[in-house]
Amino acid sequence: MNSGYPRVLLSTAYWAFVVYLFVPLVLMVMMGFKDSRFIGFPINEWTWNWYLEVFRDTEVLEVFWFSLVIAVSSTLLSLVIGVWVASFLGPQRFRGKLIVLALTCLPAVIPGIISAISLRIFARFIQLEPGMLAIILGHTVHNVPFVALVVMARLSTLPRSQLEAARDLGADEFITFWRITLPYLKPALIGASVFCLLLSFDDFVRSFFLGGYEPTLPVLIFAKLRSGMSPEINAISTVVLVLTAVLGLWAERSMRRLDKVPPP
Amino acid sequence: MNPDPIVRIESVSKRFENVLALDSLDLAIAPGQFLTLLGPSGCGKSTTLRLLGGFEQPDSGRILLGGEDVTRLPPNRRDVNMVFQDYALFPHMTVGQNVAFGLELKGQSREQIAARSKELFEFLQLTELAARRPDQLSGGQRQRAALARALAPDPKVLLLDEPLGALDAKLRSQVQVELKGIQQRTGKTFIFVTHDQEEALTMSDRIVVMSEGRVMQDGTPEELYYHPQNRFVADFVGETNLLDCTVREESGDDIVLDWRGTTLHARPHGGAMGLSAGQRVEVALRPESIQCFAGRPDLPNAVAGRITARVFRGSRLSVTVAVGEGNDTLKASLDPFLGDHLEGEELWLGWRPERLAVLRG
Repeated sequence: MNSGYPRVLLSTAYWAFVVYLFVPLVLMVMMGFKDSRFIGFPINEWTWNWYLEVFRDTEVLEVFWFSLVIAVSSTLLSLVIGVWVASFLGPQRFRGKLIVLALTCLPAVIPGIISAISLRIFARFIQLEPGMLAIILGHTVHNVPFVALVVMARLSTLPRSQLEAARDLGADEFITFWRITLPYLKPALIGASVFCLLLSFDDFVRSFFLGGYEPTLPVLIFAKLRSGMSPEINAISTVVLVLTAVLGLWAERSMRRLDKVPPP
Repeated sequence: MNPDPIVRIESVSKRFENVLALDSLDLAIAPGQFLTLLGPSGCGKSTTLRLLGGFEQPDSGRILLGGEDVTRLPPNRRDVNMVFQDYALFPHMTVGQNVAFGLELKGQSREQIAARSKELFEFLQLTELAARRPDQLSGGQRQRAALARALAPDPKVLLLDEPLGALDAKLRSQVQVELKGIQQRTGKTFIFVTHDQEEALTMSDRIVVMSEGRVMQDGTPEELYYHPQNRFVADFVGETNLLDCTVREESGDDIVLDWRGTTLHARPHGGAMGLSAGQRVEVALRPESIQCFAGRPDLPNAVAGRITARVFRGSRLSVTVAVGEGNDTLKASLDPFLGDHLEGEELWLGWRPERLAVLRG
């Protein structure tokens, strides 16, 4: 594509998209610095107060930690189950493999509200109190397919000779998995865990339906919104935005570095 | 075979879906041999190696290793190690860690591992590379690292699955000599798989030529080269002239043949062949076995001819010579130092009877 005209069109469309993507974010960040309760232009005075407020607000901090614990626990659980599912489904060839695969991926594509309601009913059925454990399990159900798919993709590129070499040198299947397969999966696991952390930290619907008295961060923001929009919410959102962006970029970088496999 | 074989394969068959990969293979391998399984792809040579390594299970038959039946043992419980075609070095470990892997799993102490690694690194000139990762090594270095890793646990038998395939031609011929030297210095049994006949001839004490899951011939490189038993081996190993002859008589160690009116003399190899007069046989003759002369040579086998094509290959000169009434040709490999042998030159070709191999099948 060297002819000028379509190229200009393409780049214009791209930059328009970038603007569309970032303007709302920029506005949100800006409003967090406005020295007034009312959101909107013009901004006459700038302040850090809303940020100080966020870090002083013990409720926000508690909820932040609560959400983090949920995200980390559900991620760890999803990794274990996802790797297990992938190692089971990956190399095996059996009738109905596609169906099993589709079933595995279903939780990822079911509409959040449906999955949340059904999980709520199920939690009540097994007499699981709404709260942290229920949310962790709910997020795990949603996360496992992502882990399984990423790990399966990586597993399919693992040369068979790697596993055979380990067996040949005296490793049983367990040691081979622990010392050869798992290190090989590392980039996939880092990528999948960041994805799971963000999915969980960001989730509203499941957390809302499965939660007890303690809200997660998105649920708290939702609750605060009902009592009126305040720049404090903008400040919270900005902090979350920065944290997730840093996490995402770091994951991307370390995955690229780890993904270097020696040429065959 | 006088000493007890270190490896014994007893009527092993293996089928993959509809392909019979091994057809009741029998093989006994003496300790300390450099044995090569040679054949085209799909001949069963790699399957044989994988059965020995424990990566496949035979459908029938037994595999004995040092007298012990290992047919059903998994790879980690067999005293053999393999050098893989792609080397299969562990990318997340250094060369040193790769080599230590098998020793750790044998339960050796830190000191034992360090001592054994040091010994191997010095032996294979890897000392400076021990801290590197496989992706920081050249092809030849990787090959040596893979060899060190496979030798480290001191296996009874070393299996090598076309380990030189990834190297370029020049390095390959150098590594061939190195590998043979390593085998001789360690005194280990090497079982080497290749489809490259030159590689097989260079390194082996004994070559087993395979085709379609069966052994076509089993012998030293010289036997295979000069006395192929059948058309497959004559064709697969090196270049060859195949002559359609009629037997006149076999008397003692002289076989008299008729080749389009020319009388030829051959020697039986490995006992009388039991040929009868009038029987049609194929006879193999290597281009290198043929010498050229200006006049009729004093050799039992001699024909006159004219050069119709010539290819200069540096150290040798390959010529095609039309003989008899011009319908038959012989390929000969001549020494360019002794003459230019241009196209159209009239000359005599001669060869010794023991260079003429009467094929059995």
